[in-house]
Amino acid sequence: MSEAAISVHNLYRFFGPLQAVNGVSFEIPHGSVCGFVGANGAGKTTTMRILASLDYPTMGHAEICGINVIHHPAEVRRLIGWMPDHFGNYDNMTVLEYMDFYARALGYKGAERRQRIDEVMEFTDLVPLADRFSNKLSKGMTQRLCLGRSLLHDPQVLIMDEPAAGLDPKARVELKHLIRVLAKEGKTIFISSHILSELGEMCDSLLFINNGRIVHHGDAESLKKSTDLLGGVLYDVQLDGDPQALSDWAVLQPNIEFLESRKTGGRIRIDTEDPNKAADVLSRMIRDNLRVIDFHREQRNLEDAFIDILANLERDANFVPAPPPLPPQSEQLPQEPRFDP
Amino acid sequence: MLVKELRQGLRTRSFIAVFLTLQIILGIILLSAGALATSDYAGQKISNVIFIFFSIAVLVIQPMRGIAALSSEIKGNTIDMLVLTRLSAWRVVTGKWAAIVSQSALILVTIIPYLILRYFFGGMNLVGEIMLLLLIFVTSATITAITVGLSASASAILRSILPMIALPIGAMTLLGMIFDGGNSNIAEFCALDTKESRIFVPCYLAACAYVGFFFLSTGTSLIAPYAENHSTLRRLIALALTCIAAVLCSFSFTDPMAIPFVFGLIFAPVFAISLSEFAPLVSPVFQKFSRYGPFGKLAGIFLFPGWPSGVFFCLLLSCVSVIPFVLNQRPTYGSDEPVIFALCFLGTLLFPAVIINLFKMKGAHRVSNYVLFGVASFIVAMLLMGLVETMSNKDFMWLFIWIPPVLLFMQAGSGFDDGDVFVAAIVIDALLIGILLVLAMREYSFSIREVKKSIASVE
Repeated sequence: MSEAAISVHNLYRFFGPLQAVNGVSFEIPHGSVCGFVGANGAGKTTTMRILASLDYPTMGHAEICGINVIHHPAEVRRLIGWMPDHFGNYDNMTVLEYMDFYARALGYKGAERRQRIDEVMEFTDLVPLADRFSNKLSKGMTQRLCLGRSLLHDPQVLIMDEPAAGLDPKARVELKHLIRVLAKEGKTIFISSHILSELGEMCDSLLFINNGRIVHHGDAESLKKSTDLLGGVLYDVQLDGDPQALSDWAVLQPNIEFLESRKTGGRIRIDTEDPNKAADVLSRMIRDNLRVIDFHREQRNLEDAFIDILANLERDANFVPAPPPLPPQSEQLPQEPRFDP
Repeated sequence: MLVKELRQGLRTRSFIAVFLTLQIILGIILLSAGALATSDYAGQKISNVIFIFFSIAVLVIQPMRGIAALSSEIKGNTIDMLVLTRLSAWRVVTGKWAAIVSQSALILVTIIPYLILRYFFGGMNLVGEIMLLLLIFVTSATITAITVGLSASASAILRSILPMIALPIGAMTLLGMIFDGGNSNIAEFCALDTKESRIFVPCYLAACAYVGFFFLSTGTSLIAPYAENHSTLRRLIALALTCIAAVLCSFSFTDPMAIPFVFGLIFAPVFAISLSEFAPLVSPVFQKFSRYGPFGKLAGIFLFPGWPSGVFFCLLLSCVSVIPFVLNQRPTYGSDEPVIFALCFLGTLLFPAVIINLFKMKGAHRVSNYVLFGVASFIVAMLLMGLVETMSNKDFMWLFIWIPPVLLFMQAGSGFDDGDVFVAAIVIDALLIGILLVLAMREYSFSIREVKKSIASVE
């Protein structure tokens, strides 16, 4: 078995002229939570659908726990739980009947089935909703129901496409809590979202995808501590005394930019991430009689980091050699959905 | 799947409405008939009413519920969640079908008490009426299989065409039962008293089973992953049936005109799906065939999923169907009528395939485009034939022989020389086959190259 829970190598997926997934490669180790970030149409859902064996790549291969999703979709399906970005519920079916149906469909029988349903309903807090019709639930309840369904067969890997989309803050907190618990149980979770701050809190690593290509794969902390587009870092400075003194001082300093004034100080930007330079700046402040009571490096928010990565790519596009030639586009492989959306 | 569908289905308003309405109407009719019955024909009339309302319920309303069976799952994006369970795509489709058929069976069961009461009015052909009831039920199951299978189609036109076709057919059948001597003639035929009925009833049941399986399998292909290959089994069954029909037609049939009808019934669904099938050749399917060496490669030419191999397969079927015509060419037949009819019918089946493949129509709508072009060409031919009947000079019909159904009508109508139609049908068929072969060979070799490249990229 491969060491990685999810392994993707040179994955391509074309829909006619659209290159939805364009040579994607990455690995996600067992028991980790990985956030998948990208703009709408970046290729997130297509990649996830291929991993869930619901779509077929034009080229390349993908494995779940060492099993090829293309050649052994049935085995892969036993290992994964899938939460799609949008889905409907059945008419005339209660929550309990819904869970019962999926438990049967997953091969559970008799007492084992009832026990598994009870466990999952308790975990996802669905017990009070057992007799409610599944198509009459709120969005948050529906997401919990969907999560419960995807957990019925106790999958090793959970693939969740935008599970927090459209949820109110309370439901979002509940979902985040459930994901944290699942992560603690050792499940590998591959989750996409537009809300980067939440992903940052939950995920061990983040994958950024843009125009079908992976543009970053690393942990959230390193992103938060990264420099901005021009290599600078931000510091928050608090003074005991007139905050205006900070801006007056900063104007006269080389390599320092005053960004904004705050109640008791302000934000400055130092054009290098070298900690020695930061120490120099602090010592100069003290030498120049600024009464500094707090001086710390600000963590960047992930949205800014993501936008900077994209801007960097755009800027570097003229300098990097052209990407390797694309494989010829197949006319025979599926290039459009078989169903009307 | 069946449990879930029954849970849902038995709670739907449409089923409850049909069920209760049927019971109320039949109850009222039986009670009033019981009070007013004076003639010997009262029982016959009660039978008619029971069969009419039962037919409306199970031949029109119940199958129409199948139209949304898979499309609702696809629209609701629940189909992905279903196929990720251990339920195979086949079980999903058959479960949907079985649920509707079970509800139709429930309606059938509730009809029985009325038939028992009707027995006391006299004049009942017990075996015939029970057999007729069962045949209507089997027909209902077959129509339901068609609607459920096609409900996975991307084309809303195809799904909405079905009720438009099913309703008039159902209504015409009912009117026929009412005004054409009641159900007694049909019931007598169904009583298995005659040799014809003893041949017809099993043949009809076999045809229903084949058509039902074919459409359910088509629906399965549409929702299954590409790595699951359902086309091959479907084609093998069609090939087996064609071989059996070829043997039977060569040695058993006395009427040669029955031969094209038998093959037409087998070919119509298999040609429609195989010639328009949008199924990419993916490496797992290719590798399964490759395991058998040269034999597997040869089989793949005819049995790989997708329309290019579908073209070769349909030509193979056509070649098999030639056997009884060759063996039955005895002087006693006196004319080439069955052969001409078969050639015209073959052209009719190939023509829409040439259009959709020549103009590279969209994958998701290929089947519906095939059906629509087939229906459209038939309607055009009918209109032209209607027009030509009012004219003294019928020669202008020759301008439209490139539309094969026109030849079909010319052969059936008067005023056209059979020999000329025969030659025209051969030329048109040869042309259509030639175009299809060129397109299929090009696409087939391309898809083989691509799948080999894909396998190499993984290795």
